[in-house]
Amino acid sequence: MTFVLLMALREVRASWRRLLFFFVCVAIGVGAIVMLRSIIQTVRGSLTRESRSLIAADLAVATNRPWTPELRAELEQRFAGAPILARQETVELASMVRPASGKGSQVARMVELRGVQPGFPFYGTVILQDGRPFTHDLLANHGALVRPELLAELGLSTGDQLVVGGVPFTIRGVIAVEPGRRVGAFSFGSRVLVDYDDLIHTGLLSFGSRASYRILLKMRESGVAALDRELRRDFASRFVSVTSFRSTEDQIGDDLQRAENYLSLVGFVILVLGGIGVWSVTRVFVRQKVRSVAILKCLGATTRQVLAAYVLQVVLLGLAGSGLGVALARIGMAAIPARVVTALGGASYSLTASAVWQGVAVGLLVSLLFSLVPLLEVRRVKPLLLLRGGATAGLPAGAAHPPWWTAAGLRSRLAAADWTQVGAAVVVSAALIAVAGWQAASLRVGAIVCAGFGGVALVLTVASTAIVRGVRPVARAPWFPLRHAILSLGRPGNQTRVILLAVGIGSFFVIGVRSLQANLLQQFSLELGSSGADMFLIDILPTQVERMRAVLTARKAAGADVPRLIPVLRARVTGVRGRTTNLASFEDVRRQGGLAREYTITYRDHLESNEKVVQGTFWAGQPPLPETAAPAEVSIEKGIHERFKIDVGDIVRFDVLGRTLEARVSSVREVQWEDARSGGFMFVFRPGPFGHAPQTWIGILKAPEDPTERGRLQRDLVAEFPNVSAIDVREILGQLQRAVDNITLAISIVGGIALLSGVLILVGAVAMTKFQRVYEAAILRTLGASTRTLGAMLALEYGGLGLLAGLVGAGAAIALTWAVSRHVLDIPWRPAPGLAAAGALITTALVGIVGVTSSYDVLRKKPLGTLRAE
Amino acid sequence: MIELHGVSKTVPSGDAMLTILHPLDLRIESGRVAAITGPSGSGKSTLLGLLAGLDAPSTGRIVIDGADITSMSEDALARFRGTRIGFVFQFFHLLPSLTAWENVRVPLEIAGASDAGRRADALLTEVGLSLRRHHYPSQLSGGEQQRVAIARALANDPAILLADEPTGNLDSATGRQVIDLLIDVNRRRKTTVVLVTHDPELAQRADATIALRDGRIVSAVPAVS
Repeated sequence: MTFVLLMALREVRASWRRLLFFFVCVAIGVGAIVMLRSIIQTVRGSLTRESRSLIAADLAVATNRPWTPELRAELEQRFAGAPILARQETVELASMVRPASGKGSQVARMVELRGVQPGFPFYGTVILQDGRPFTHDLLANHGALVRPELLAELGLSTGDQLVVGGVPFTIRGVIAVEPGRRVGAFSFGSRVLVDYDDLIHTGLLSFGSRASYRILLKMRESGVAALDRELRRDFASRFVSVTSFRSTEDQIGDDLQRAENYLSLVGFVILVLGGIGVWSVTRVFVRQKVRSVAILKCLGATTRQVLAAYVLQVVLLGLAGSGLGVALARIGMAAIPARVVTALGGASYSLTASAVWQGVAVGLLVSLLFSLVPLLEVRRVKPLLLLRGGATAGLPAGAAHPPWWTAAGLRSRLAAADWTQVGAAVVVSAALIAVAGWQAASLRVGAIVCAGFGGVALVLTVASTAIVRGVRPVARAPWFPLRHAILSLGRPGNQTRVILLAVGIGSFFVIGVRSLQANLLQQFSLELGSSGADMFLIDILPTQVERMRAVLTARKAAGADVPRLIPVLRARVTGVRGRTTNLASFEDVRRQGGLAREYTITYRDHLESNEKVVQGTFWAGQPPLPETAAPAEVSIEKGIHERFKIDVGDIVRFDVLGRTLEARVSSVREVQWEDARSGGFMFVFRPGPFGHAPQTWIGILKAPEDPTERGRLQRDLVAEFPNVSAIDVREILGQLQRAVDNITLAISIVGGIALLSGVLILVGAVAMTKFQRVYEAAILRTLGASTRTLGAMLALEYGGLGLLAGLVGAGAAIALTWAVSRHVLDIPWRPAPGLAAAGALITTALVGIVGVTSSYDVLRKKPLGTLRAE
Repeated sequence: MIELHGVSKTVPSGDAMLTILHPLDLRIESGRVAAITGPSGSGKSTLLGLLAGLDAPSTGRIVIDGADITSMSEDALARFRGTRIGFVFQFFHLLPSLTAWENVRVPLEIAGASDAGRRADALLTEVGLSLRRHHYPSQLSGGEQQRVAIARALANDPAILLADEPTGNLDSATGRQVIDLLIDVNRRRKTTVVLVTHDPELAQRADATIALRDGRIVSAVPAVS
């Protein structure tokens, strides 16, 4: 044991510089895991601690229909039996606001209005920018608190007036932090806080408007779980949702746990790339240590002792690498801008103990797993080679085999196989799947990630083998440096495939993600083409339809389509009587998942240009049904037909704003969702039954391109139809573009780290094989090669390697973009040849420069010294 | 005592088999210095490798102090070498990452000796290198490296010291010092020394000389086989 420990320590002392890349490879992956896990754990910690302030209560009961007297009475009855200390109500809706005449810019903006009662919030605090304490008095008598961005957009300041639903409100303060509002979550607009009663009296809450009504309860903790359970059980079918601080805590916990696991998997992927580096470094290291192993065996050390010494060395290096990774994570966390920290809901970040130990454990495991197979080579070292090979002794060469595709070739290979090494490779693969499964908290996901990695690695290996073979004829080129550069790619013990794999994966990540981003953004801009609709008006009352049509037609932009107005109602499926699917109650529907959600439905007598019937017949050209027709007639979208097995002829029962209605499915439509300007509906009814039902209309129009004109149109519409909201698709696409940019940046950082790992592996490979190159260079020099020739050889070799890696990466990235565009995003594939070519060229330059720079010694060393040393 | 009974070595060469050593019998008494001589390719180093258990003979048995090493496993052979045999190479074969002192300690550590450091000190003093103990092999001359190698070979006080052309890589003056050292070890410690050499001076100072040619013993003076 003493010998094993001492040898391991001595080897670390002697070779740590050469093995620097070993632990840097490990460090980057460990750093990524520790940092990502720590951030998410910190965020989760602070969010779950604030779960009460997230819902501003102990328990919140919500619905998106106005409380009916019956429902209220039933709820009151339940509340009476629970230990409730206080209660209040809020209402939230998205609506348009504009500055009062004569003030600010002449535009209107969509905001998320929240009407609150005195005492709000039960938990957490509203923080105002000027530091004043929040009291309900600020909202009394048509006061409003707004976010700073709204003031900037509308050109207003505190004290100015804001028109909400036709009623002026005075801005009394600016909200810095509002409890329960998560930055980064999707919203229709910035928050405006007003008094509950004032909001009720604006008239915005007319029938059909999209408001959320909430009852907030402050209660003794002992009663929360019971009331939560009871209300969920009894009111689910009445479209009432219940949230308690406990369920919020659980929800946040689950969401963030998933996020943590997936992000850790990203770290694991980086670490596996590092693992490839570890494998390559260990392979070369073992080859360089053959003589030492033979000496040790000659001096009486058993194979097990020698193997143990090197495994222990790997453990020490893995620990050092993991330690460095933790330090990198610490530095990385300190570098996160304060703005991002607060945006994610944290006060400050620090490394968490569990993230650190997981990172270190995974780092150590990956180091061990990736070095085990190459380390097993030491078993093959025979001490006899000390008598035979002298200083240049190497591992015994494998026997020559007949071609592998012949029976004799296969037999001879099977007979010569090192089954211990094969067994170790199998164990290592299984262990890697287990580690990936541990990191993702799902063995299935772990297996998929490892299979994906294996697949990509296999494709890259096959591609690089093919390319290396393909360029072999260039080795007959008359130019000496080119000929030798190509020969170097295939020299014994070369690192060509490892470098191609590592750098190829890195460039594949970066080019692939950038190409996808370009494809997506191009798709969005196409959708916003010159004739496409880019503004939606919602909550138009039936009495406003004709006037709205007249206004929109009068202000229609030249060349734009006639604005369209479509009636919409909101409905839920509460039952299905069909050939395949039979759902007797809403509870049964709920168990189907998505089918229970609230759908926006419409009725019309024609198909839209983006629709086609794939089953049954549409009622186009037929007269409307009588208002009392039973059953009514409905056309369903193909997705509903496929997911829930609802067919033509089946009867679907709907709850349309409290009214039960049965409809027979008469057709199945396929909607081209990417061309949803004509609107896309899951359920379209035959006209008739809803003629006089309460409903609202939506407007679809192409607004003027000029931002001032757009703003003016929005403002005029809000002035004339205060209850109508205008959704500016351009603005939302702007938000979406920013979101896509952020995601792209995040994935590009991961890709960048992968590429960095690739470059590190390259530097490591160069450093490890440098002794061989220095020797070759010395011989070439004595034969008359100049420094310039040697430099050209190196530049061509590494530039060529970079070009091959770039080509492999770019090729794989093009394939990825095609597959994701076609099969995941369902958008047309547009190749980005410029991007792929630029990626390949940058990779060429990067590898060329790094390769030549790290081989500086090869050009600098005097030949005599080198040859003497050999 | 070293005994070889019908020992031969044959290796595959292309499609045919190549005989490096034809069946031979040999006995070397304990406490003697035996030199194996012969031209390149005569089988000297192969014979030495077989004596050290670094390779297995194709036929025959090798018995060292009553132990049949041909029937030992690879690990048992390693342990046997560690305690009973010391080896000195033409190219020294010191571990480049270890100092002279650490190189001498290695066999002691492998054998689990508790006083490895002290014994390494004593051995380095014995070969006259106590002042160079913390130097790495690259900082030592060829002669010094070979003296460290001899100290290392003696670490576990082996009964047999095998040396493969110990002076082959040294100038004549340094070679003479190494020869003196090996003979001195034999005289003082009664260690059996078997050398492979081209060096006539070294062969002359041996108690016995075994000459090989084409894998066969052509002369043995005095007769030892």
